[in-house]
Parts: sequence; C-alpha cells; structure tokens
Amino acid sequence: MNGRLEITGLKKRFGGLTAVNGVSFAVEPGEVIGLLGPNGSGKTTVMNMVSGALRADAGSIRFDGVELTRLKPNKIAKHGVARTFQLVRPLPTLSVAENVLLSFAFGRKRHWGREAQMLVEEKLEFVGLGGRGGEEVGNLTYIDQKRMELARALASEPKLLLLDEWLAGLNPSELRIGIDLVRHLQGLGMSVLLVEHIMEAVRALCSRCVVMSAGEVIASGESEAVLKAPQVISAYLGDDHA
Amino acid sequence: MKQTVFILLGLAVLALLAAAPYLLSDYGTALLLGMTGYITLATAWAMFSGPTRYVSLATVAFFGIGAYTVAVLSEVLPYPLVLLVAALIGLTVAIIVGLSTLRLAGVYFVIFTFGLAELVRQTVTWWEVNVTETLGRYIFLPFEGRHIYWQLLALLVVTLLISWWIGRSRYGLALKAIGDDETVAEHAGINVPGLKLALFAISATIITLVGAIQAPRWTYIEPSIVFNPTVSFLTLIMALLGGPSKLWGPMVGAIPLFLLFEWLSANFPDHFSILLGALFIMIVFFMPKGILAKLEDLRAGGAS
Repeated sequence: MNGRLEITGLKKRFGGLTAVNGVSFAVEPGEVIGLLGPNGSGKTTVMNMVSGALRADAGSIRFDGVELTRLKPNKIAKHGVARTFQLVRPLPTLSVAENVLLSFAFGRKRHWGREAQMLVEEKLEFVGLGGRGGEEVGNLTYIDQKRMELARALASEPKLLLLDEWLAGLNPSELRIGIDLVRHLQGLGMSVLLVEHIMEAVRALCSRCVVMSAGEVIASGESEAVLKAPQVISAYLGDDHA
Repeated sequence: MKQTVFILLGLAVLALLAAAPYLLSDYGTALLLGMTGYITLATAWAMFSGPTRYVSLATVAFFGIGAYTVAVLSEVLPYPLVLLVAALIGLTVAIIVGLSTLRLAGVYFVIFTFGLAELVRQTVTWWEVNVTETLGRYIFLPFEGRHIYWQLLALLVVTLLISWWIGRSRYGLALKAIGDDETVAEHAGINVPGLKLALFAISATIITLVGAIQAPRWTYIEPSIVFNPTVSFLTLIMALLGGPSKLWGPMVGAIPLFLLFEWLSANFPDHFSILLGALFIMIVFFMPKGILAKLEDLRAGGAS
C-alpha cells in the first residue's frame, strides 16, 4: 500500500487574508503525522485543499505520484484520500448503514449489493457500531456519530486518511477508545494526517508533527522535540512562556 | 415467489387500465387520461426533486415546449418523429438550464425555475406574434382520447420503471446524500454536478413528452394554455402530498388531488385559485413529508 503525500509551497488567500502561505511537508506511507497549531493558523485550510474542498492558489499536492491540486473532491476520494469533518456531518435521511454504504458505492473501488452490505457491517463492527446499522443517525450520541463518520471515511478504502479534530469533544474514556482506533488503522498500513489540539493524542499517535502558525510552518520533526521547541510554545501560549 | 406475485398483479392492473377505455364512458376516459398525465408529471418531477430537494417550478416550461413542438411540427413530420424531436428539444433545454442553474441552492433555484417558465412562455408568445404572426395554433391529429391515454399510460410505466431502477441503484442513495449535504456527498466520491444534471435532464425529458402526447387533446393551443404556471404548482403539490421520496408517493398524491381539482374547477370555477392556495398551505403544514410517511409514522406509533 504505497501512498506518499507531498505538499510543496501551498498557498491560499481569502480576500486580504493569507490563510496558508507557502506550506510544505510530506506524509510517508504508513505514517501518522500531526498537523498542529493555534486556532486560525491554517490547519483546516490545508486539510480542505488536500481533500479538494478548497482550491489552492499556488503550490502543489501530490499523492501516490498523482497531482491532486486541481482535482474535485470526488476524484480525490477515488485516488484514495478520505476525510472526516471538524464538525460531524452525518447524512440525516440515510440510516447509519447507508451513510457508510455510500462511500463503498462511490469510493476507490465500487461495491454494491449483498457484498457491500457485508463490508458495511464489518466497518461498523470495526468502529464499535456493530449491529446498529439500521438506526437513524440523528439518534446516535456524539461519539457514535464520530464513529459513524470514521466508518464512512474508511468505507471509501483510502490509503490516506485526513482526520480533522476527530478526537475533539470526547471524554477521557472515549478518547482512549479513539486513540486505539487510529492506532489500529496505522497497524493496517494506512497513512493518517491528524489535525489535533489534544496533546495526549498527538504524543500517543504521531511519530512526527508539523506545527503551523499564521499560515506558515514554524516547526516540524519528531513529536517530542517539536512540542518542546520554544517557537511552538510561544505560538500556543504567547512569548512569556517560551 | 412473492416477487412473481407482485409482477403478475402489476401486469393484471396494467391490463385492466389498458382496457379501461372500453369499459368507461368518454367522460371517464378523459378523466383517466388527465389523471395519468398528472401522475406521470408528479412521478417525473419527484425523480429529481424528491431526493435532492431542488424544488423545480419549471415543470410547465418543459410541458409547454413538448406541446408546442407537436403544434408546430405535426403537419410536417410523422408523429413518432415529432415526439422524438420534442424529447430532444426538452433534453437540450434541460441540459443548458441545468448547467447554468444547478449550482444555485435552495430558494434561488426555485425562483430561477419559476422565472424560466415565464421566460419560455414570453419568448414563444413574442415569436408567434412578431415572426409567425399567429397567436395560437391548431393541431389536427387523428387521435381520440383513448389513443392519447394509451400513450400516456405507456409513458407512465416507463417513468415508474426508471424511477424504481434509480431508487434501488447506488445513484438513488447518492441523490439522497446530495439532498442532505452536497459537500459530504462529493467527498464520498460522487460526481455531484454530473448526477444532478443527469437526473434533471431525464425528469425534464419525461415532462416534455407528457406535454407533447397530451397536445392533440386540445386541438387548439396557445401559450397561456400550455405554459400555465398552475401545472407546475399542481405537480409540485401532488408529489408533496404523496411523498416525493417514495416510488409510489407522487401517484398516491396525484390521484385524490386530481379528482378534487376536477370537482372544484367544475363546481367552483371562480374560487379555484383560493381553494388551491388553502390546500397548499394545509398540506405543507400538516403533512410535510407526505401521506406515505404519515402512514408509516402512524403504523410505527401503533406498533410500539
């Protein structure tokens, strides 16, 4: 399962605001990498450009040797990049199983019919929603909606998974379950790009981190070293703490 | 086994409906014809607008295009070819309109489609007055009511089959996802603009054919008759009443409403519009998801 993500010189402006200003980094196959930074530093904008929700003004995004920069989200999904959303976005008129089935039907490979139903059940089992496919998504608790959204992203059979604050808003025991799930994915060889504020999760999951501030990368490398770097601490907490 | 019974039952009902003109009076046949026309319109409308929730008021634009094509070409070309040309014109207009409007969301789409219907009507009127210098045209085709009815019945069967096929295919699921959240649908791998355009075009082509097939019934047509916006509103409310997200929903809504409208326009011709408006409000207020969903809710409520 090859799948190297290479981002070079990525830029995005919104009117007068430069949200992302020349960001470059790479995610190696099978690596879980954290994309950190204070609110408004441009992490989600980078995610949105990788998944195709936003179009980059300059720079390039290559995945698996394919240029994704000008592609639409549906094409990018078919190239093996899937995502979750910062705020969960379940499809309310579809059942839990149908939410997941959708990605199997239109993802990297096309699955439909009885075979797809079995795959859906497998994925639901994997995220801890086994046997609950018939329920309405509106009736799920917050963590279960997050589980469902992860199952939906996995159902397009990605090589790279983009998790945008997927662990946010979970209580401590749920967080442990969430971290285990992501670790399991890494065990299966999937690359993961994690936008995250929870340091516990970042330390547990990410071998490397990229830290952004005001649209630029201010530090990158081994997680432990990066999190101690003075410019990272000052970006998060202000200069007094550095 | 169960499926075979359903198919046989369906064929028996179809045979009975096909034989109906021999069993009914001329008035009965005319009533059935009008009803079949509206069931087809509502089913075709719901094919696109039901799952995606793009409420279109352009129904009468396509309906009128179909009727006018027949009026203009019926003495020039053989009838089957006239229908083909009408379908192609409807399809072409739908693709052009779809490409330019399907990026509009919510109420803007509704307003645009309403405007489109008026634009087409005014354009045809202007053309007829200034270029051909005839407002109104006669259609002389050797059809009786039952001939028109049979054509509509065949079109309805085809429409239901298409709708059924879409509903059980992965595209049916995709359309519902589009209705819920287009961004999520796109990220799941769905070509959202392409799928919306395809469905809008199929739906509009069927609607065009309903107009074309029904045209000979009036003998004389003019823009104010075949581009009457009431057709769009009736189609919409029939589909809403039955439930636009279910295969049989539009039919369940169209049958009682068509009969009611016939009765109202015969008995209260002056108050028809007011009563129509009141009904519209009541349906949206009391049954926003339609009769079928209401019945399911009641059944679920009774069971628990």
